[in-house]
Amino acid sequence: MIEIRGLHKSFGSLEVLKGVDLTLSKGKVLVIIGPSGSGKTTLLRCFNLLEVPDKGSLRLGDNSFEFHEHAKIPQKDILALRQNTGMVFQSFNLFPHMTALENVMEGQITVQKKSKDDARKRAEALLAKVGLADKADSYPHKLSGGQQQRVAIARAMAIEPEVLLFDEPTSALDPELVGEVLKVMKQLATEGMTMAIVTHEMKFAADVADHILLMDGGRIIEQGTPDEVLKNPRTARAIQFLNHLNGKAEDSSE
Amino acid sequence: MTDRQIQILLDSFWPLLKAGVLYTIPLTLITFALGLTLAIVTALVRLSSLKILKLIADFYVWVIRGTPLLVQLFIIFYGLPSVGITLDVYTSAVIGLSLSVGAYCSEIVRAAILSVQKGQWEAAFSLGMSRMQALRRIILPQAARVSVPPLGNAFISLVKDTSLVAIITFVDMFKKAQFIAAATYEPMIIYCEVAVIYLAFSTVLSVLQNYVEKRLERFTAT
Repeated sequence: MIEIRGLHKSFGSLEVLKGVDLTLSKGKVLVIIGPSGSGKTTLLRCFNLLEVPDKGSLRLGDNSFEFHEHAKIPQKDILALRQNTGMVFQSFNLFPHMTALENVMEGQITVQKKSKDDARKRAEALLAKVGLADKADSYPHKLSGGQQQRVAIARAMAIEPEVLLFDEPTSALDPELVGEVLKVMKQLATEGMTMAIVTHEMKFAADVADHILLMDGGRIIEQGTPDEVLKNPRTARAIQFLNHLNGKAEDSSE
Repeated sequence: MTDRQIQILLDSFWPLLKAGVLYTIPLTLITFALGLTLAIVTALVRLSSLKILKLIADFYVWVIRGTPLLVQLFIIFYGLPSVGITLDVYTSAVIGLSLSVGAYCSEIVRAAILSVQKGQWEAAFSLGMSRMQALRRIILPQAARVSVPPLGNAFISLVKDTSLVAIITFVDMFKKAQFIAAATYEPMIIYCEVAVIYLAFSTVLSVLQNYVEKRLERFTAT
């Protein structure tokens, strides 16, 4: 489904990804964890080419790309790839001039060229699915962070992507709102949606991930099932990172 | 005020208002529409990566903003005929004012587009939109809201700036006032009268501007 080989990405002189390989099969949930600055968000943004890698290859369904420095990727190939991916952002990025319903209709109308009626039907169904049928006509600023993020999930799903990408979807939320968003994501996972998730929610990762990647310094330093990575990490750096996270979790629960 | 002066005031009101409605207002509307179009194109070019067009756009804004509008009008109407381009007074006025509006408003439009958060572009791109689709559906509607107050100011300025065309013999409301003042020897009365009419036009536009702002505010945070 998704296959990434030898991915490199630099911002100026800073090398953020130093050769990443991964495979994500259909219906599976991939969770990417790691300290800040480890390159996990950049990696996720390479999935839909919001960042274009310098080197390596990416295959997503029927879309294949080979990256070389200075070689431009045709715009139409990028757009085709993005129609097969949906993304949920840390800061929601709902369109503030549109209602929740219009946000979810927008991609279907502008990109997929669906009729308004068809788009509205699908949007209403998706809002109901994320538990916000009654908020269809609300503008984003009238919604809580958790509600906005659930609309954003519905918006990302509206274009029927083959994979959903989540970039720290709960990091900007008040603690009491995190649960409602994770619940929706968990439901999608059980329904067989292919997902790649960057997150700091370890309990959630342990629950829903089929495969976990632990990144540090632009490389994958551990990967495997949640049990393998979270319970029996092999590298010293991974142990240090996980202990640090657990320590933080204990602190905040006091 | 003598009876004669009051009579002049009343007699001149309708001719002045007529000149305003027939010339000043249409001139304002036409030049603002053309100027705003030019402003949006210029702003988009300056935000793009089209090197040569960008240089042209930068040069245009630099020249127009750096020289007096009156001098520009003189060059177009009195200067161009000597290099073989003769334009009538209406065309000259429309071109001169539109170029001016375009240059000033392009800065407003550019700043408004830049004020829209980067995440909005990314959200649009993540749905598969092209740059043009993202701009049209997501970015410009938000930029429009931000730019209404400064564009409203530019529009009101334009109503007053149109009076400059009187100097290149365009018979607008102000030129009409000059004729009447010269014929009646009552410059104080006539020019104050025409000032009041300009004030009335501007006031109506301010109210309109407030209304548009209110309407566009419906989706923003309290």
